[in-house]
Amino acid sequence: MKRRYSLTYLIGESFKSLWRNGVMSIASVTVLMSCLIVIGGFALIILNINKNVDRLGLMNEMVAFADYDLTDEEIASIKDQIDKLENINSVDHITKDEALEELKANAGEFGDVYAELEGEENPLPDTFHITYNDNSKASTLYYQLIQIDGIYKVNNRLNVANTIDSIKNGISIVGVWFLAILFVVSVFVIVNTIKLAVFARRNEIEIMRYIGASSWFITIPFIFEGIIIGLLSGGIAYFIVYLIYRYIENNAASNIQMLSILPFTEVNMLLLAGFVIIGILTGIIGSCTSLRKYLKA
Amino acid sequence: MIDFKNVKKVYSNGVIALGGVDFHVNDGEFVFIVGHSGAGKSTLMKLLLREEIVTSGQVFVNNHDLTKMKNYRVPKYRRELGVVFQDFRLLPNKTVYENVAFAMRAVGTPAKKIRKRVPAILSTVNLYDKFDCFPSELSGGEKQRVALARALANNPKIIIADEPTGNIDPKMSMEIMNLLIKINRLDKTVIVVTHDQKLVDYFQKRVITLNDGKIVDDHVGGMFE
Ligand SMILES: Nc1ncnc2c1ncn2[C@@H]1O[C@H](COP(=O)(O)OP(=O)(O)OP(=O)(O)O)[C@@H](O)[C@H]1O
Ligand SMILES: [Mg+2]
Repeated sequence: MKRRYSLTYLIGESFKSLWRNGVMSIASVTVLMSCLIVIGGFALIILNINKNVDRLGLMNEMVAFADYDLTDEEIASIKDQIDKLENINSVDHITKDEALEELKANAGEFGDVYAELEGEENPLPDTFHITYNDNSKASTLYYQLIQIDGIYKVNNRLNVANTIDSIKNGISIVGVWFLAILFVVSVFVIVNTIKLAVFARRNEIEIMRYIGASSWFITIPFIFEGIIIGLLSGGIAYFIVYLIYRYIENNAASNIQMLSILPFTEVNMLLLAGFVIIGILTGIIGSCTSLRKYLKA
Repeated sequence: MIDFKNVKKVYSNGVIALGGVDFHVNDGEFVFIVGHSGAGKSTLMKLLLREEIVTSGQVFVNNHDLTKMKNYRVPKYRRELGVVFQDFRLLPNKTVYENVAFAMRAVGTPAKKIRKRVPAILSTVNLYDKFDCFPSELSGGEKQRVALARALANNPKIIIADEPTGNIDPKMSMEIMNLLIKINRLDKTVIVVTHDQKLVDYFQKRVITLNDGKIVDDHVGGMFE
C-alpha cells in the first residue's frame, strides 16, 4: 500500500498546538523577537562600522619611486605592470618634471632656486601615486610593488592599513561571539516552548508510539510549530528593525556628516535571510532536542 | 506467532519482574494471562510491544527477533500489533471517529482508505452511532470499544489487551470480552491480561498463570483446576 502522510493535517496540528498553548506561544514569540532584534541590530551596527572603516581605508595610498635614468619605455612598462596588479584602484604617474614644477609652485617666490635643476640636472625620480581598494591586502600589494624592476622604493602606510584591519577583525570576532550567544538563547527559548507543547501532548505522543507512528510523523508538527514561532518572530523583528533603521537613516545620518550609513535596501535581504534561517534552525533544533526523550522507542 | 525463550527481565532498580519464562502462542490462538499483582504480566506485555528489552533470553513475534531489533525498526513492528489498555488512552479532544482515523493517519494511510475503513471498524465494535461523540460523552465500556476499534484500525495480526475490563462494570466487561472473542474469530491472535476470574472461567480458553515472574500453570480451561 502506498503511504501518504497528509501535510495539511500535520501543519494544522501545529497551529492547533500553538493556539492551545496561547500565552506560552505569545511569550516565546516576544522573547525570540527581542533576541532577533538585538541580533539584527548588532549585525547592522557591525556592517556599518565596517563600511565606515573601509571608507577610511580608501584614503590609503602608496607612492612608488622609480629608479633614476630610466627611459620612457621602461617607465611605461613599470606603469603597465602596476596596472596589472590586483587590488589597484588608480595609478597616477607623476614625471620628474611635474614633480619639480610642483616643488617650484610650493616654494612660491623662492621657486627660482630650483631653476638650475631643470632638464638633465633634475634629481627627482618619477613617481607613481597608487590607491587601492582592499586594506587587508595592502601588505601583499606593497611586496608586489617593490619587486617590480625599476622601482627602488615604496612609501606606504602599512601601519595604518594594518591597524584598520585589526580593528575590523576585532569587531568581527566580538560580533560573531555575541551573535552566537544570542542564537543559543533563541534556541533555548524555542526549546522551552516546544517542551511545554510536547508535555501537553505527551499522551498523544505515547499513543502514537504504541500505534507505530514513525518518529518523524510525531516530530514534524513540533518542528512546524517551532518554525512558525521562528518565522512569526522573524517577521515582526524585521518590521521593527526596518522602522528603527529608517528613522536613523533619515535623521541621525544627515546630522553626522562623517558617517555614511548603508541604505536599508542594501541590507534588507541579508537581514531577512538571517531571520528566516535562524527561525527555521531554532525550530528544528528546538523540536528535536525536546522530543528526544519521548522517541527512544 | 509468539515465542518466549527463557526470558528474564530485571529492572534497573533490581526488581526481577520475570525470572525465566517459556511459552509459545500459535497464530489465531486466544490466551488469558493471569496472576497476582506484581507477578510480571504487564512486563510481559511491554516486552511484546518492545517497550522494554529482555535482560536475557529471546522473544520472537511474527518471525521478528525482538531482542535484536534496532530502535528505528520498532514503529513499523508495532503496526503488527493492536494494543488496548485498562485506562483506554483515548485522545480527549478528538471524536470517536477521529480517534480511530488518527491511528491510521499516523501510519500514513491514504485519506480515502481511512474514510472507508473507519465506519466499518466502528460497526464491528457496535459503535457506529457514536462516531461523532467525544470520549467524555461515553461510558467506560464504550470508551474501551473505541480503544478496541483503534487497535484494529491498522489490521494487525495480534491484539494485546492489558486488563481491558479493569475499569468497567461486569456487564460491559462481558461485552468487551465477547468482542475480543469475535476479533479472535477474524483470525487474529488475542492475548488478554485479566484479574477477572469469572470471565476466565466462563470462556474456557487457554490460561497462562504467572507467579513471581514465573509461569506456574499453562492449560486450556478455567482459572483453577
Ligand atoms: N519500570 C519499572 N521499573 C522498575 N520496576 C518495575 C517497573 N515496572 C514494573 N516493575 C516491577 O516489576 C514487577 C512486575 O510488575 P508488573 O507491572 O509486570 O506486574 P503486573 O503483573 O502487571 O501487576 P498488576 O496486576 O498489579 O498490574 C513489580 O514488582 C513491579 O514493581
Ligand atoms: Mg499490570
